[in-house]
Amino acid sequence: MSQGGTSLFSIKGLKEGPTLLFDDHAPFADVVAAAEEELARANGFFRGSPIVLHFGDRLLQKEEWWHLKETLHREGVLLRYVVSNDAASRKMLYREGLSVRESMPLPRPEKTDQDPLPPEGQRASYLRHGMRGGQKEVFDGDVILAGDVNQGAEIIAGGDVVVIGTLRGVVHAGYPDNDRAVVIALNLTPLQLRIGPLIAIPEEGQNHRGVQHPEVARVLDDQIVIEPYNGKL
Amino acid sequence: MSGRAIVVTSGKGGVGKTTATANIGLSLASRGQKVVLIDGDIGLRNLDLILGVENRVVYNIVDVISGRCQHRQALVKDKRMSSLFLIPASQIDQKEAINADQMRDLSTQLKEEFDFVLIDCPAGIEQGFRNAVAAADEAIVVTTPDVSPVRDADRVIGLLQSSLGEPQLIINRMSMAMVRRGDMLDQQDVLDILAVRLLGIVPEDEAVVIAGNKGAPVVLNGGSPSGDAYGRIARRILGEDVPIPELNGHSGFAKRLGQFIFGR
Repeated sequence: MSQGGTSLFSIKGLKEGPTLLFDDHAPFADVVAAAEEELARANGFFRGSPIVLHFGDRLLQKEEWWHLKETLHREGVLLRYVVSNDAASRKMLYREGLSVRESMPLPRPEKTDQDPLPPEGQRASYLRHGMRGGQKEVFDGDVILAGDVNQGAEIIAGGDVVVIGTLRGVVHAGYPDNDRAVVIALNLTPLQLRIGPLIAIPEEGQNHRGVQHPEVARVLDDQIVIEPYNGKL
Repeated sequence: MSGRAIVVTSGKGGVGKTTATANIGLSLASRGQKVVLIDGDIGLRNLDLILGVENRVVYNIVDVISGRCQHRQALVKDKRMSSLFLIPASQIDQKEAINADQMRDLSTQLKEEFDFVLIDCPAGIEQGFRNAVAAADEAIVVTTPDVSPVRDADRVIGLLQSSLGEPQLIINRMSMAMVRRGDMLDQQDVLDILAVRLLGIVPEDEAVVIAGNKGAPVVLNGGSPSGDAYGRIARRILGEDVPIPELNGHSGFAKRLGQFIFGR
C-alpha cells in the first residue's frame, strides 16, 4: 500500500480541495473497505473539511452509496460535490440530494507499473514562434514550440515541453510536481532545467554549440538525465 | 513626402549605437538623402560630439517638444553634409521630460521634410527606449559579438517585435583575429541566437575611436574598414543588394550564412 491510497482508492489534493478517487471496476465493497481503512488512518484529518468524491465510470447503486455515506458520516467528512461519468449514477446521486457534476479536471495519473506511458491524445499548446530573453509563458499542459527559446526566456508547463529549435533558457516541465514530464529539444543547452520537483544545472563551461542532435531530458531515479532522442520516449 | 523613421537601439550601452547612427546618417546624406538625426539620449547628450557639431547647438529636443522653439530652429546643420541635420538631446533634462506621443508627433513632422529620421536610442528599455521606439517605423539593433550585449539585444528584439516588427542587426566591433582564435562569438553564433536579418558587420577598427574623439565620423575618411562597412550598410538601407564581405574567409559557414541572409 502506497502513501495516499491503494489502487482501489486514492486521495488527492487538488485545486477543488481534497478529492477521493474511487476505482471504476473493483467490487464496490472492496473499494469502500479501502476507503474506510484510509480514512481511519488519516485519523480525523478530513473531519469537517468539504471534499470531492470522484466515482469515475462506475454504475453506482443506491445501496452502495448508502454504505459509503455511512462510512463518510462516521469519519465526519463533509461533501463538496460528487463527480460521476455515468448518467444513471448521477441521477441517483442527485436524487439523494447531492451536488453532482459530470467531470472535473484531473491531474495526470501518477507513475505505476501498469501504466508506464502518459495519457495519449491530450491537447498540447502549440507556439509558432520562439521566445526571447525576458519573455515568460505558463501552460497547464504540454507545450510544443517551433523556434528557439533563448537565454532569459522561461517556460513553465504542467506537462511535457517540446522545443523544435534550440533551448537556451529556463524550462520547468511537469510543474509543480509531475516528475514523469519530459523536455525534448533539437538542441538542448538550457541555462537550467526543472522537471517536477527537481532542478538541474548543466555543467559549467558547456559549449553553447557543443550538442547538435535532439535530446530528451527526463527524471530517472530522482535525477534529471539528458539522453539522445532517437524518435521515441 | 514621407520619410523613413528608423530607431537605432541595442539594450546594452557602449556597443556603438551613437557611432552607428552618425555614420549611417552621414553615409545616407552623402548619397543624396536628406537626413535628420535625433539624439534620444536625453540627459546624456553625445551625438553632437561624435558629429563634431557641439559648438553649434542652441536649442534641443526638449525645447522643441515643450514649445520653446520651432523644430527648424533646433536643427543643427552638419559642417560637411548640407543634407544632414541633428536635433540634439538636452543635457540637463530627465528622460521623463518628453513622452512617447510627443516623440511620435515630432517624428511625423520631420518625416514630411526628410528622407530619413534616424533616432539614436538611449541604452536600457525604460522610458527613453519607449519614446525612441514610438517615434520609429523600423529598427536597427546594434550589438557587439559578446555574450551580454547579445543577450540584451535578444531582449530588445523581443520587445521590438511586438511593436515595430522584425528589426535588422548590425554586429559591431567584430575582431576576425579573435574569432579565429576562438575567443569571440562569430557571426554565425550571434545570428543563431538572434535569428534576425543581418544588415551588416562592422569590424573592430581603431579609426572609430580616433574619429569619435575628433568629431569626424569614419565614413568621411575613405579606406578605413569600418567606414567602408557603414557605407555598405547605408546602401543596403537604400535597398541595394550589397554582399557582406566581412563574411569572406570563413567559407565553411559563409555559404550557409549567405543563404540565411539573402535566401529570403
